[in-house]
Amino acid sequence: MTISVKKLVTAVSASVALMAAGHAAAEIKIGVAGPITGPVAQYGDMQFSGTRMAIKRINEAGGVMGEKLVAVEYDDVCDPKQAVTVANRLVNDGVRYVVGHLCSSSTQPASDIYEDEGILMITPASTSPEVTSRGYELIFRTIGLDSMQGPVAGDYIASQNPEKVAVIHDKQQYGEGIATAVRDTLKDKGIEVAMFEGVTAGNKDFSSLITKLKQADVDYVYFGGYHPELGLILRQAEQANLDAVFMGPEGVGNNDINTIAGEAAEGLLVTLPPSFDEKEENQELVKDFEAANEDPSGPFVLTSYSAVKLIADGIEAADSKDPFDVAAALRSGTFETPIGTVEYDEAGDMKSFEFVVFEWHSDGSKTPVN
Amino acid sequence: MQDLLYFSQQLINGLTIGSAYALIAIGYTMVYGIIGMINFAHGEIYMIGAYTALIAITGLTALGAAWLPLILIVALVCAMIVSSSMGWAVERVAYRPVRGRHRLIPLISAIGMSIFLQNYVHLAQGSRNIGFPDLIEGGFQFGSDDAFQMSLSYMQITIFITTLICMTALSLFISRSRTGRACRAVSQDLGMASLLGIDTNRIISATFIIGAALAAVAGLLLGMYYGSIDPLFGFIAGLKAFTAAVLGGIGSIPGAMLGGLILGVSESMTSGYLSGEYKDVVSFGLLILILLFKPTGLLGKPEVEKI
Repeated sequence: MTISVKKLVTAVSASVALMAAGHAAAEIKIGVAGPITGPVAQYGDMQFSGTRMAIKRINEAGGVMGEKLVAVEYDDVCDPKQAVTVANRLVNDGVRYVVGHLCSSSTQPASDIYEDEGILMITPASTSPEVTSRGYELIFRTIGLDSMQGPVAGDYIASQNPEKVAVIHDKQQYGEGIATAVRDTLKDKGIEVAMFEGVTAGNKDFSSLITKLKQADVDYVYFGGYHPELGLILRQAEQANLDAVFMGPEGVGNNDINTIAGEAAEGLLVTLPPSFDEKEENQELVKDFEAANEDPSGPFVLTSYSAVKLIADGIEAADSKDPFDVAAALRSGTFETPIGTVEYDEAGDMKSFEFVVFEWHSDGSKTPVN
Repeated sequence: MQDLLYFSQQLINGLTIGSAYALIAIGYTMVYGIIGMINFAHGEIYMIGAYTALIAITGLTALGAAWLPLILIVALVCAMIVSSSMGWAVERVAYRPVRGRHRLIPLISAIGMSIFLQNYVHLAQGSRNIGFPDLIEGGFQFGSDDAFQMSLSYMQITIFITTLICMTALSLFISRSRTGRACRAVSQDLGMASLLGIDTNRIISATFIIGAALAAVAGLLLGMYYGSIDPLFGFIAGLKAFTAAVLGGIGSIPGAMLGGLILGVSESMTSGYLSGEYKDVVSFGLLILILLFKPTGLLGKPEVEKI
């Protein structure tokens, strides 16, 4: 009797395992790695809301090669160390396609692992040029590069004929990279860069820096970094009566900066991807987002959506689920996505991507400047 | 004239931040003075003070309170009560059971407590930066309109005055009151004080409570001054205040005050005249130099190693 029960149990569990395996074979796992917690979690929200919507819509339309997409979400806190752990877990979990990571400093170390392990990665947000400059085969992005964004900001500041400009950064890969691009553009245009200086990320007291900016009498301050620091700089600058226009990259353009800076956020200039959610052809998609109570206007929502769509379209185009075939298909094809027509160059960068200058308002809204 | 204004502005910036460092440093130095351990969870107590104050301010504003002094005083009292109970509880839970063991054990326990409190606030309040409302706005301007203007904000004045009041009160308490005298006795010789009938456990608890209350004051002041708080901001402030305490001579209360001011001014002067990137290099370089030539810190008394 005992034996037969044992046998029964074994048989049942074996068949359950078989069923599970059969079930697993009919789905394609998409790893989504980004900050669910941590100081820049707001960007993670955009990323996850974009990927969830894309997966839902693709599955409703019949999936990819008849198989359903399944999201596996990971929290990297935008911390390079955590990103490596997450990347290894992804490898362990048998995921072969990743949308992520978000912060360049996380994407860079994680991408080494993905390339080695044959996992295809598309980052919807990392703009650091180094991410795709290492001759990797499986690393792509659905966003522009700092080397495109910096000049847009630099050109805009130069077009306003300022006398003196200060360029500040947070000493991190993303912030310093973009600040350097802005400084170089300004110098090429013959604008005086009175200050080029780093602050420590996580610092909260910027009174000395602001005093220095006042002393240098600058008209424009460009900040390369994220909103927690710039928000405080804006606020403390207003209290110290510093009269200068501030500008920052897409890393500062989200509603958290209003929570920190309050009224002082009014008039901040931000370079961002264009508002894809306002494009005519995306209106149906925008309605779907609104019906799900999600906001499609964040800068990384539709880039994340497009990353999932590119993976799906790439698999279809390659007619193979092997990441290397998909990568080859992505490089050779032309794909229609909510962020426009996407074509990839050898490095894995989009052949064209546009950044636009927006003016930020203290209620969290933004208006295009040019 | 311009240069003088600039110098004075940087000095004011440095003294403001320095006085807040000093308030936090008191907690480190008092605890060390009495039981010879570094309370690494102290930075977190300060952070919790700031959160409590923010919650109180938000609550009062939501209830319709508009009179600023009332809001500030209620927020301050709430922050002090919550932080003090937290300081007391931390001592009971994490330090008292391991007191008297090898000195590494309470140290590890303190680090664990610090990580626990950080993550607790992380879970309870979220990890994002939360903005503090602008309660004390405006200030004085010096210098002509078209050139560099030195500004001294009401907020900075509030920080100076509050710190001054706290420090005076603490000095009077330590030198005049019965508990203060007991504190000094316990810090000189814990075993002897206990033999002479001082309830040392009560005195140690009192030390933690006083340190935590002062940290809560600093939390409210700096939260308002900076403009935003997050669960990790106690860590950096704690590290700076600990440096200030060591700089001034750990165990010495006037030393902590002096150390805080020196650290604040040296930070602001470095970022004012060199570059913000060297701020920490100079502060910690200064610390190493002082420790090389005067290992007990500026005002510390050379003492026999306590075990």
